[in-house]
Amino acid sequence: MKTFKQHIYIIAGLLLLGACKPEIHTPKPSAGSVDFSRYISLGNSLTAGYADGGLYLAGQQVSYPSIIGKQMQSVGGGAFTQPLFSTAQANGSGYLSLTGFNADGTPITTAVTTNLAIRGILPVPGFGNVTLYTKYTGDINNYGVPGIKLIHITYAPYGNLNGYYERLLPGNSPTNSTTYLDFVMAKPFTFFSNWLGNNDALSYATSGGAGDVLTDKGTFAYLYNVLITTLTAKGQKGVVATVPDVTSIPYFNTITVSAILAGVQKANPAAKALYINALVSGTTYAPRQATTKDLIVLTFPTSMIGQPVSTPYGTLPYGLTPYTPIDNQYVLDENETALTEDYVTSYNTTIKSVAASKGLAVFDAYTFLQNVKQNGLVVDGVSVNSNYISGGLFSLDGVHLTPRGYAIVANQFIKAINDKYNSSIPQVNISDYNGVKFP
Amino acid sequence: MKKILLLVLSIAPLLAFSQGFQVNLEGQKQIGMGHTGTGTLQDGASVFFNPGAVAMLPENYVQGGISPLFFKSDFNPSGTSIQDRTANKVATPFEFYAVWGPKSSFWKLGLGVYTPFGGLTDWGNTWQGKYVLESLDLKAIYIQPTLSIKLADWMSIGGGFVYNRGSVDLTRAIPLANSSGQPGQAELKGSGKGYGWNAGVYFKTESGVTIGITHRSQVNTTIPSGNAIFSVPASLQSSFPQPNTFSATIPLPAVNSIGFGFYPSSKWILALDVNIVNWDSYKTLSFDYKSNTAALQDTHSPRNYQQAYSLRGGAQYKATNKLALRFGGGYASTAVADGYVTPEAPDANRVYGTLGLGYTMAKHLDIDISFEYEHLMQRTQTNIESQLSGTFKTDVYIPGISLAYHW
Repeated sequence: MKTFKQHIYIIAGLLLLGACKPEIHTPKPSAGSVDFSRYISLGNSLTAGYADGGLYLAGQQVSYPSIIGKQMQSVGGGAFTQPLFSTAQANGSGYLSLTGFNADGTPITTAVTTNLAIRGILPVPGFGNVTLYTKYTGDINNYGVPGIKLIHITYAPYGNLNGYYERLLPGNSPTNSTTYLDFVMAKPFTFFSNWLGNNDALSYATSGGAGDVLTDKGTFAYLYNVLITTLTAKGQKGVVATVPDVTSIPYFNTITVSAILAGVQKANPAAKALYINALVSGTTYAPRQATTKDLIVLTFPTSMIGQPVSTPYGTLPYGLTPYTPIDNQYVLDENETALTEDYVTSYNTTIKSVAASKGLAVFDAYTFLQNVKQNGLVVDGVSVNSNYISGGLFSLDGVHLTPRGYAIVANQFIKAINDKYNSSIPQVNISDYNGVKFP
Repeated sequence: MKKILLLVLSIAPLLAFSQGFQVNLEGQKQIGMGHTGTGTLQDGASVFFNPGAVAMLPENYVQGGISPLFFKSDFNPSGTSIQDRTANKVATPFEFYAVWGPKSSFWKLGLGVYTPFGGLTDWGNTWQGKYVLESLDLKAIYIQPTLSIKLADWMSIGGGFVYNRGSVDLTRAIPLANSSGQPGQAELKGSGKGYGWNAGVYFKTESGVTIGITHRSQVNTTIPSGNAIFSVPASLQSSFPQPNTFSATIPLPAVNSIGFGFYPSSKWILALDVNIVNWDSYKTLSFDYKSNTAALQDTHSPRNYQQAYSLRGGAQYKATNKLALRFGGGYASTAVADGYVTPEAPDANRVYGTLGLGYTMAKHLDIDISFEYEHLMQRTQTNIESQLSGTFKTDVYIPGISLAYHW
């Protein structure tokens, strides 16, 4: 019996050791000088959680505003509600998924077309077809609308032309007349994030300079002032982000002129150059040889190269003669790139000066993404960069981010907020968020 | 014709040997006295502490003991209030010694089997640093035959040959998600061996103070052909060929020690040890994979360890003929420079305290128990290679028990 008692002490002692644990004392998270009780987010597809060429539930759930909103809850933030698709319609607009690799290592993507939230296609006279989605009713904190430009925020009919915005409004297209800015301002808030402005340059760039126009610099400055003045009218605080350099995204850096040419020369060593229809000045375009400074879009079907095209000069191979240049829509040529960069620089000057005048925090996405493109980034043992698929930052559409990318961006926003307002919103654990999903 | 996707990923296993792995548990009497023993003579554990002193042992010894080690680390990622803790797992360093020589002869033979380095760290697969390390189980067993010779009544020397058997089992997540979003996993598992030697000298001075000086050589443990197991999404498996093996060499550093024993009365022994550990030989850790691909390259991680030292002191009080009470403590500087701290053994300067109790159960039989508490100073670090940034804090609790038969 006596030995049994001794054993009990030993076992109890060992269990006690098992229970000891070290504790690192951390300061209690603080809201600093800010009231985070109702945080709202304004922005476009990046804000909505768009990824892989579509808006779908899994992407919405890792949007950077939802991550920020969750982190804010430890410093007095309220519930952060997003206009989520239902689980029955979880695939939303549909999106791309990676289904394999070809023998040469190129990816195979397949469109997901089941469980969509599409309720119809509406032809709008003078505009075109608008895809309409299942309506969302309920509270909204994340006002991210894919496709929206700054120029749209005061445009009353916009709720009829953008299905993602129409989805949030009570009325049906084409009867809507609520501007985006009025819609956002309808319910009081205490803190905002704003990442509008990307599409004012990006839509032009991703269409190869052919399908859209750059928003006038003066108009951008005027509207940005209107926007921020309205948002801060009651003394609300906020964070804004700059417009990334469009050339920092894999959409423009994956398919390169030299890679295409190398492929052509493998089959036909005589081929000397690719030809593109390039911007000369103003709106004048002329064919010329492509250089490495011309950017080819990710969606260019490279199989078109060399296909016979009938011309007044006979049947000629596509893309390989001055008479059969690669179509404008597939190329952001050197002059178009310079033009876009000039506008982006101007937009960012506006964003930073308006933010400074209102005392707002700024996440300089332009500098951040350019830095990642040049140097890569290592976070918690994970190496990310701006390469398509392998980089881990950008999703399959080459423009929008992966969950890992959105989490990294969320931490950058949090850092900007904390630095500006002396708050200590906790950072999110990047390791919890994945990059591109592989089959 | 899209640009070939080269999935160049750094999957370098950031395996660190550090003083976190120098377990310093080689004899229960000595643990009780702050892990001193270079300049004192207690029992067969002198095979480890000072092979030069073995010939001075008045008796022959067979003894064995075990020290279950509770290693508890906490990590607080920078800018958060998260506490990531290692799982409750118990490592089991042990020691076994045999010392024999003819009665009152000038020589003695010894054999030691002990575990001077080892680690068992399990951070789990959901913590912030899972792409750096999930778990590590590392063992090094030294087998050391020893010869010691008494040159004079006041001086003896000795030396041993060390054969080391080491094994490692390391897992970490790979940042490549499958279709359900789960990350891949790497496991490096293998065993290897190494050789070394040690030597010591032991003096009894006229003033009664005893002095020991030892050198334990560096032991390079080479794992020539460990298994490199990578589970990644099926479409990427060809980039991580299976089966695959790796080779790596890890230096377990040389240690120079000097120790003193003082005997203020017949009841008291006071001991003092100073160790200098030549971790500075550890510059890089390289992993050489048998099958390389664009994604799986050999890795060479800088370690740039620095020389470390430790100061130890302890005392034994013979309360009765049968009962000895012991206590001690010490301080050890870290070998790991700022920027190189990894979660394998989040090393830092450390202090420790020990208690011990020895009891003579029968004429030839001693039982000794000890308890050690070790505290690694809180250390806030950003690792240069992984950019894992945060604060580590570690506590180690080590109870121990041994039996010694002597005649």
